[in-house]
Amino acid sequence: MPIDQQKALLFGAAAAVRLLLFTAFPSLPNLLTGRVEISTPVTSFKRLQEGVFLYTHNVSPYDGGVFHQAPLLLPLFSLLPNPAYYPFATNLLYTIVDLLGANALMHIAESGQSATPRLFKSSRKELRWSSIAIGAGFLFNPFTITTCIARPTSALTNLFILLAMAKASQGAGSTFVLALSVASYLAMHPILLFPPLLVLCYDVRATKSKSAPNPLAFTAFHVLSLVVALGGLLYLSALLTGSWEFLGATYGVRLLLPDLTPNVGLWWYFFTEMFDSFREFFLGVFWLHVVSYVPGLTIRLRKQPLFVAVTLTGIFAVFTPYPSIADGTLYLSLVPLFRHLFPLMRYTFLASSTILYASFIGPAFYYLWIYAGSGNANFFYAITLVWSLGLSVIVGDSLYAALRDELDVERPELRGKEVKRI
Amino acid sequence: MRSHCLDNSFQPSPRGCNAAMLSFLSLLFFNLLITFTAAGQDYYERLLLRPLPQSALLASFNFRSNESSASFDQQNFRYFPRSLGQILQHARTKELHLRFSLGRWDAESWGQRPWDGAREGGTGVELWAWLEAQSEEEAFSRWLTLTNALSGLFCASLNFIDATKTIRPVMSFQPEGDHHNSSNLHLLHGTLPHEVVCTENLTPFLKLLPCKGKAGVSSLLDGHKLFDASWQTMSIDVRPVCGKDGADCVLEMEQSVDMVLDIDRSRRPRDNPIPRPLPIEEIACDTSKHYNAEDTCYPLHKSAEPGWNLTEIFGRPLKGACPLTDGDGEGANTVCINTPPERIIQANTTGQYLETWIASDTVRCYKLPTGSDFDLNLPEQEMTTGLILATPPLFAARSINGHGQERGSIQAIIRNPSATDAVEFVYLESLPWFMKPYLHTLRARVDTTSTNPIQETYYRPAVDRARGTHLELRMLIPASSTLTLTYDFEKAILRYTEYPPDANRGFDVAPAVLKLLSSQSSLGDNKGVYLRTTSLLLPLPTPDFSMPYNVIILTSTVMALGFGNIFNLLVRRFVGAEEVMALGAGGLRGVVAARVAAMRTRLLGR
Amino acid sequence: MSLISALLALRRDPRILKVPPYLSALCILVGVVWLLVLPLNEYSRNTYVSENALLPGQVHTYFTGSEHNIFRAYRHEVAALADSPVHERTQRLGDIFRSSNLKVATQKYEYHSSGRNISNQNVYAILHGPRADATEAIVLIAAWRNMAGEVNHSGVALVLTLARYFKRWSLWSKDIIFLISGDSTSGPQAWVDAYHDSHSPESIEPLSIKSGALQGAVAVDYPAGPWGHRYDKLHVVYDGVNGQLPNLDLFNTAVSIASGQMGIGCTLQRMWKHDDSYQERLQTMLRGMISQGLGHASGPHSSFIPYHVDAITLQTVGDGWHDEMSLGRTVESLFRSLNNLLEHLHQSFFFYLLMQANRFVSIGTYLPSAMLVAVNFSITSIALWVQSGRGASVPNPASTTPNTASDSKPKASTPDMTLARTATGAATLIPTASLAITERHLFLPLAFILTSHFLGLLPLYIFNKTPEPYLRLAFDTTTVVTTLLPLATALLFSKFRRPTSQETILMQCFSLLLLGMFLSALATLNFSLSFLVGIFASPLTFVRCISPPPPNSTSVPGLVMRNRKAISGAVVGLLVLLNPLVVIRAATFYWGKDVVDVLVQAAEGWHVWGLWTQVVIWLVWWPAWFAGSVVVAGGLFS
Repeated sequence: MPIDQQKALLFGAAAAVRLLLFTAFPSLPNLLTGRVEISTPVTSFKRLQEGVFLYTHNVSPYDGGVFHQAPLLLPLFSLLPNPAYYPFATNLLYTIVDLLGANALMHIAESGQSATPRLFKSSRKELRWSSIAIGAGFLFNPFTITTCIARPTSALTNLFILLAMAKASQGAGSTFVLALSVASYLAMHPILLFPPLLVLCYDVRATKSKSAPNPLAFTAFHVLSLVVALGGLLYLSALLTGSWEFLGATYGVRLLLPDLTPNVGLWWYFFTEMFDSFREFFLGVFWLHVVSYVPGLTIRLRKQPLFVAVTLTGIFAVFTPYPSIADGTLYLSLVPLFRHLFPLMRYTFLASSTILYASFIGPAFYYLWIYAGSGNANFFYAITLVWSLGLSVIVGDSLYAALRDELDVERPELRGKEVKRI
Repeated sequence: MRSHCLDNSFQPSPRGCNAAMLSFLSLLFFNLLITFTAAGQDYYERLLLRPLPQSALLASFNFRSNESSASFDQQNFRYFPRSLGQILQHARTKELHLRFSLGRWDAESWGQRPWDGAREGGTGVELWAWLEAQSEEEAFSRWLTLTNALSGLFCASLNFIDATKTIRPVMSFQPEGDHHNSSNLHLLHGTLPHEVVCTENLTPFLKLLPCKGKAGVSSLLDGHKLFDASWQTMSIDVRPVCGKDGADCVLEMEQSVDMVLDIDRSRRPRDNPIPRPLPIEEIACDTSKHYNAEDTCYPLHKSAEPGWNLTEIFGRPLKGACPLTDGDGEGANTVCINTPPERIIQANTTGQYLETWIASDTVRCYKLPTGSDFDLNLPEQEMTTGLILATPPLFAARSINGHGQERGSIQAIIRNPSATDAVEFVYLESLPWFMKPYLHTLRARVDTTSTNPIQETYYRPAVDRARGTHLELRMLIPASSTLTLTYDFEKAILRYTEYPPDANRGFDVAPAVLKLLSSQSSLGDNKGVYLRTTSLLLPLPTPDFSMPYNVIILTSTVMALGFGNIFNLLVRRFVGAEEVMALGAGGLRGVVAARVAAMRTRLLGR
Repeated sequence: MSLISALLALRRDPRILKVPPYLSALCILVGVVWLLVLPLNEYSRNTYVSENALLPGQVHTYFTGSEHNIFRAYRHEVAALADSPVHERTQRLGDIFRSSNLKVATQKYEYHSSGRNISNQNVYAILHGPRADATEAIVLIAAWRNMAGEVNHSGVALVLTLARYFKRWSLWSKDIIFLISGDSTSGPQAWVDAYHDSHSPESIEPLSIKSGALQGAVAVDYPAGPWGHRYDKLHVVYDGVNGQLPNLDLFNTAVSIASGQMGIGCTLQRMWKHDDSYQERLQTMLRGMISQGLGHASGPHSSFIPYHVDAITLQTVGDGWHDEMSLGRTVESLFRSLNNLLEHLHQSFFFYLLMQANRFVSIGTYLPSAMLVAVNFSITSIALWVQSGRGASVPNPASTTPNTASDSKPKASTPDMTLARTATGAATLIPTASLAITERHLFLPLAFILTSHFLGLLPLYIFNKTPEPYLRLAFDTTTVVTTLLPLATALLFSKFRRPTSQETILMQCFSLLLLGMFLSALATLNFSLSFLVGIFASPLTFVRCISPPPPNSTSVPGLVMRNRKAISGAVVGLLVLLNPLVVIRAATFYWGKDVVDVLVQAAEGWHVWGLWTQVVIWLVWWPAWFAGSVVVAGGLFS
């Protein structure tokens, strides 16, 4: 089938590009791994290597301030040959991870849940890109490629988030729960995606089987299975490391932000400059702020659960403690699913050029601060502000477009008229 | 992480040529002498002077006072200082080692370190002690008690040795005393590389001496000269020493001051310390140069040993003997000079003194007169023979590679000069928590062989704000080869309240300590042979200290924008624009419209 | 929100599209004028020392008397070594250092660039500060040959004498490193690279002895022969590689010590005569900007600055009555000041334009000029984006297969329709507009822009790899090829895949967007380079592809339409003159330099100092020029 040929061609090209970059520039991976924009303290590949090293030498990696990543990664990466000498296996792994992610993304696109969920038919549903185009948009996004080369574990998180979305949009309840629990086990915050994805899964199941299942039973079952899956993963990790101290070293660090290494997010400089007495208070406020989006979006956009999930990934890319461009690229490659909203979006060019500006000036300012010593921290901080602003503008704008789209369906007579919000 | 180590056999090294043998023997014999007389009497002091190349002079003072442990327990102090003794008893400290150091020992030109490095510390302050405690926690609390008390006693900021600066070495330090009758001892070790040692530390140090710097060799110790030295270290060591059968133990306290003085610099009068250019006629010119003229002078390098005497070197005369030292025997020879026999030395004093030549005439010792000043005068002299200094067993240098305030790598270069025998040693690093080493990047290369020199590794990673990194490596370096040790590290960015006032200077990293396992200490006791690198300066990335408020405001603004924008969309409802016009009669505008209408009707109505 | 929606409404207004060209022109104009007013007293400031620890000129200097005799002797020694082999030279210099009880080591280095082989030897000595613990160090440099290639007799002799003199002092709280580098540019580079262990071990020897973190470096350049020469002024050189500058405090300290304490006049940027007038100040500033923009190494100090080691070179110029001892005392006083430092120099400015020894402009004042020039590109690109979006209102947005024929009519009709609607009221206009947003076909423009940027790698590679003899040939051929390339590309486009007017607009839009982005990012790293490139690229803002029918629906006079080919040809001809290679050739001709020397030095910069100027020229400026010319040349073949 031509579609499969195209797919094969696409994946082949993407894999070729990645492996070529890996092999042609052997110093590139380590260079990118060192970039704070890509690898954060909780995802950095170098720290992962350190953890694996300590793990293979029978020192608990969690009895230290360097390694903050999930325990189950340790046996996985200790199976691979040492990337310092034989990098090929690792490179291949990360390439495959990207391809699988793209595959899941294309499944989401094919499921058509973006434009035509159960309770809602967009008025512009004919306006959509092919799954190939969307997959290409993901695979050839320079951010995705750099992320893949830098090999942070957030690539894995992204993969499992995409898998969870794909499974949910196919109504495969158990696999969706499994994928989501793995994602939240790796990075904790993806668990916030559970409500919208659960709704999505429910809708799909309802459309598939003519009689909608009982919502309460459905919810109870999936919540239970999520708890079981997560509990199993955590218990396995405890068995592996022999103690529960990994909880504090992984999720505790994400919650309490002891490591203030710069990143593209808003938290690090805020808590560098924060007065000690207020630190805990603002930590609480910031986390509450992140969580507060989940119920609001899920309730208001009940009819478009997939859109809610995508918007949440965008919010994670801005407002979580250790974001990186990997989170940003996940959101940016999910947005094309909602091709039908683009005509309604108002600041696309503005926001995208803002992001481009930020991604060019950011490294320059970081260099000025850290290496040239001629700039100070505020330079880089300002750029992280701009980056976050650009992303949040896209999020808000797409949200506006989605609501406007709903309005057009509810009240066709208003279609395309000037509207006000009261 | 302990990998089992292969044990290597060790042969004592035959030292170089004949002259070297001679000089070395002299040194060896001399040191043995000290240790013999150790347990002998209750108070003992000695000053050893040894001229070094490049017109440097090594002066090592050594004071030792004993207290029988029985009277110590009864708080019956004679020679042992009460202030320190009570602190030790309070903190249950069985053995104590305290070091104040400044400058660096130039091993290339000065050779082996005094006391084989066992009586010196890293730059700044270094403290390690064996405490008696039931548990780790108790030991640590007693450790804090000890550091706080000592900081009060020595006017040093020892109280800044907290959990992040404290480690528990496993291989690097062994107790010097015999602790038969004390159980579960804990070794704790802390360093303050940033501490600047100065006269306020010397004064309490002298106070601990029985003669308090008023008489005896300690009367030479003058702050100005001591801290003008190119290298100096003050040390205090307290250890229990017992007889063969573990009975009649004494608590021995040893204080020593070692310093290397630049003779030219020290001879300058204190009222005119500025090294003004000498008048041209005082400079020996090389007249063989073709361009030599009255306005052109190529300075000749002086080959003669410079002349000096105690008074001008130490800035004050030696005020006779300390009456507490015993009148005859080895203990009476309190001033010794280690020079070739041909060197002319005149002792001038009004009182009577005794000169003895020992160690095959390379050491001259003097029994000081009591109550009258004593001075030694060495005139300038052309030497035909010289003492050959013992080459140190290892040379070590450590530096930070790379630039930028994000990451870097430590490089330690350790050279084994001996042509015949390999050296086994322990390398101890104690790093601050904000310097995060990556152990998987640790590489040790020896230029001569390809075998991995690392035999055993002990690693305790740092925890943010709670604990520093503790790394100990047991390594074997083959004969006449160089070992290069490198590892990467990352620099953390701190909270802005955690930076010192001079944040842009950077943070000091404590020196690495090398303990030689294979080579026996030339002193023949269990002090061990040590070596320390210089400390390092670690620049960290700094935030802008001036604008916490701006940062808080700006970040909050961005978050508020995102939050407000999104929830504004979520909670409000869309209606068509003209509908708004239609149902406009709301809010202020409605009121105004109503008023206008009322007015018009009234006007028209009239 | 309401404000934004108002802006949106404004965006929909067709007249808005007429504004941007004028706006861009205004930006450029203001940017240039801004630069021109900087020398005025109202906009520039007097320099001042902000680091309190420095206390410049507060110490009495003692470097006189018999030291002078010794200096003369050492100068004879140096003169005797002038034409002796390298190893012998370093050996002898090392002996002189050793005779004053310093630790001495040497370093061999070897570089290959453009077929030449640069190999020489550094010798350096370390004075252990009696008060120091080997954590900090300051460097005193004298290159064996200065930038002009003459032997630095008195400079080297002065360093030898000062080493002997400094050794006697007991007040040094930092180590002092005396470096005598083999030459002025690659020698210090090799040394400082090896000091930070970022050198390539196969060609550069590692340093056998090191000290602590470098806090500052001062180089002396005094090429007076064995019989001496009295000089008039000190020429303070401060430009680093890639236009990075040392902390202004170091410069101020040097100036205030030399002029205040020693009474030696200071000059900069080769302005030997400087009567504080507007012209002189402007000239000094422009010279400074050009040398900063070129980013080449201007002295032994330049290589230190990228490592965040503040460094300057003191160069003696002219015939006067100051002798070597006054220079020595200046250095002594400067080192006493540096010795006082508690922290790394961070207080004062790192971005500044100097227009006289004690007058400067800080970044806050001058940055807007470059930013404005960069912004004008962004403005135009946004305008082009909007314009491309509202080009033609075709019935079905989803299916646009526009060819010029079918496009022409709706385009012609669109504007007045829109205008008519505006008259009736915005409410009904906006929906139509918002629905009439045409689909943008991004693929071809994006692909084209990306390829043109990758194409820039080609000349970069050629000029860095070609051996010296072939450089001229390479340059000329590249000039010809790059001049013809846009026409050929446009021709190919017209033959095979004729871009729609919208795609043409988008090409220019993206190229200008990228240009603006690069330049604004560059303005923070190297202001001058960004400004110069921006000025030379500014015409690209205003050129358009004149194709029938006009891409933008503004009313175009029939005159232009009738002889549009001629106009396009003329514009292409104009752009040929702005080809980076042509500009480089013109500049070298103007300054009477040989283009080959420039290229050789650039290649050396690429291989030795890590110079980035070529990258900017070939991957930022050239692609933008190329895209612009292709767009214009498209008008010829439509």
